[in-house]
Amino acid sequence: MIEIKDLHKSYRTGSTSLHVLKGINFSVKEGELVAIMGSSGSGKSTLLNILGMLDGYDEGSYHLDNVLIKDLNETKAANYRNKFLGFIFQSFNLINYKTAWENVSLPLYYQGVGRKERKERAIAYLDSVGLKPWVEHLPNELSGGQKQRVAIARAMAAEPKVLLADEPTGALDSVTSHEVMALIQKINDEGRTILVVTHEEDIAHMCKRIVHLKDGVIVSDEVVEQQRVEANV
Amino acid sequence: MFSRDLWGEIFHSIKSNKLRTFLTGFSVAWGIFILVILLASVKGMENGFIKQFGDDATNSIFIFPSTTKKPYGGFEAGRRIRLDNDDVTFIKGTFEDSYEYISPRFSNSVNASYGNETGNYSITGVTPDHLYIEKTEIYAGRYINQNDMANTLKVVVMGKVIAKELFKDEDPLGKQVILNGLAYRIIGLFSDDGNEREENKFYAPISTMQRVYGNTDQVDQLALTYNPEFTFAEAINFSDVLEIVMKRRKVIDPDDQGAIYVRNYAEGFARVTDFTTVLNLISIAVGFLVLIAGIVGIGNILIFIIKERTKEIGVRKALGAKPFDVIKLVLLESVFITTIAGFAGMIFAMGIITAISPFIDTEAFSNPSVDIVTVVTATVVLIVAGLIAGLVPAIKAAKVKPIEALRAD
Repeated sequence: MIEIKDLHKSYRTGSTSLHVLKGINFSVKEGELVAIMGSSGSGKSTLLNILGMLDGYDEGSYHLDNVLIKDLNETKAANYRNKFLGFIFQSFNLINYKTAWENVSLPLYYQGVGRKERKERAIAYLDSVGLKPWVEHLPNELSGGQKQRVAIARAMAAEPKVLLADEPTGALDSVTSHEVMALIQKINDEGRTILVVTHEEDIAHMCKRIVHLKDGVIVSDEVVEQQRVEANV
Repeated sequence: MFSRDLWGEIFHSIKSNKLRTFLTGFSVAWGIFILVILLASVKGMENGFIKQFGDDATNSIFIFPSTTKKPYGGFEAGRRIRLDNDDVTFIKGTFEDSYEYISPRFSNSVNASYGNETGNYSITGVTPDHLYIEKTEIYAGRYINQNDMANTLKVVVMGKVIAKELFKDEDPLGKQVILNGLAYRIIGLFSDDGNEREENKFYAPISTMQRVYGNTDQVDQLALTYNPEFTFAEAINFSDVLEIVMKRRKVIDPDDQGAIYVRNYAEGFARVTDFTTVLNLISIAVGFLVLIAGIVGIGNILIFIIKERTKEIGVRKALGAKPFDVIKLVLLESVFITTIAGFAGMIFAMGIITAISPFIDTEAFSNPSVDIVTVVTATVVLIVAGLIAGLVPAIKAAKVKPIEALRAD
């Protein structure tokens, strides 16, 4: 599904250049649930941005579903993001003046799906994350956990190949964190490929594989025994 | 492009910045308001000027004889120049393609009476062509015709004012009116466009007048209209040539400015048209300058809104919004604000003009109005203004990088 070979990335600020990723080799197969760990400055956010086509890279190659992702123009990148990727952010990033279902249907809007069908599909996804009664609610009427579940429903709405979650539980307490991770596990059980960036050990252990990044290189990449979370959603 | 969702977002953005949107919209409305008021005022002035020419055909040329101011051709200065019937025939023959109508005028004052009513009026002898030169409107009976001319009939066409004064409620048509002791039959009644002095007049066949008053073939002046297909230059050229030819015919020094006058209305009209064109341009310039302030204001508020919404735009882009989707959103919002505000200003201005225009009808200012061309132009200007105002902010929005936007926690 994801194929990364010898990936390099530097940021230039004025005359100095900061080498952030120093040759990453990494691949993810369909249906995997991978945690990417590392302290701040390890390059994990940069890697996620490149995976998310939000940023380019200097050297190496990145294939997503056998498509080479390199030097895309904005429009093409937007198309690929819409088709291949679903994003889950730490701070949810819901649009605050849109109802839950409108937020979920946004990726479909950019695919040109009609309003009626969008609503049906959005409600179906909200139902699958247990939020059917909150379909018409605005984000500020929802709790943090509920917001993140809306965001997960939104990430899935366009049926992407890969879900990218950037610290999905970073803004949540431990109980709701577990709820969200239970949901992520459930979605993974259904066969979806998911990458989770986190710095919390217990969250990482709820995934099936942990990749450690340090100073721009992968220092360890191991399959772990998945710690199942009991969902009461 | 005009989906419910798109408009929903535009309205949301406007709603959440009501006061700012109103204030910037106001500056656009104000710009358009000033533009429309100025243009309508210029139109009012133009109408006022044209009204001054109102009772004559706009392509009229008048030839008045006077006395020579310079000695020439063996004659002393101070010689009286006279025009006569032959001059009419001469002009008709020489300038066959250049004139449209021509009529000599021969005027006198008369004491008119009907029954016990009397009054002092003027009478002008003319030919049938004069109807079109003076733009006389016959509202009853007929004007002077060739038969009246040929038979030197004592018939008159009477102005509306005289009809009221001498005949009161009686129908004057076909009645006899006594002018300086001679009876004339009234064959027609006329009114003249908004000019009472003109309606205080009799018209009679010039042949009759010349016979009654001095058995002469002289005329007081010549009135003609030039070929209406003439351009301004051709019209001026015609009256210049006419002046030269008439001076030669009457043995007048070509440099003598006072012996014979040729008045071409085209010159006056050209002056008025030049004047109003300049005023129009000034109005448009002033309107645009005010409008620019509005455009800058809207551009300003949009940049502000986009800054506030950077994160949202970043999220949208991460979810698959293409740069054009973002540009569309900003531009439509801008065009929407300018158009609504502009129309409000335009309607307000037109309302004021409609309300005051019946009360304003002076010599120099009459019936200020806005024509459809102004409205269409203003609309196009507004949409273009909206696009210009939105362009910079839209490009700025399209350039928002999702990572940077999302990092801005």
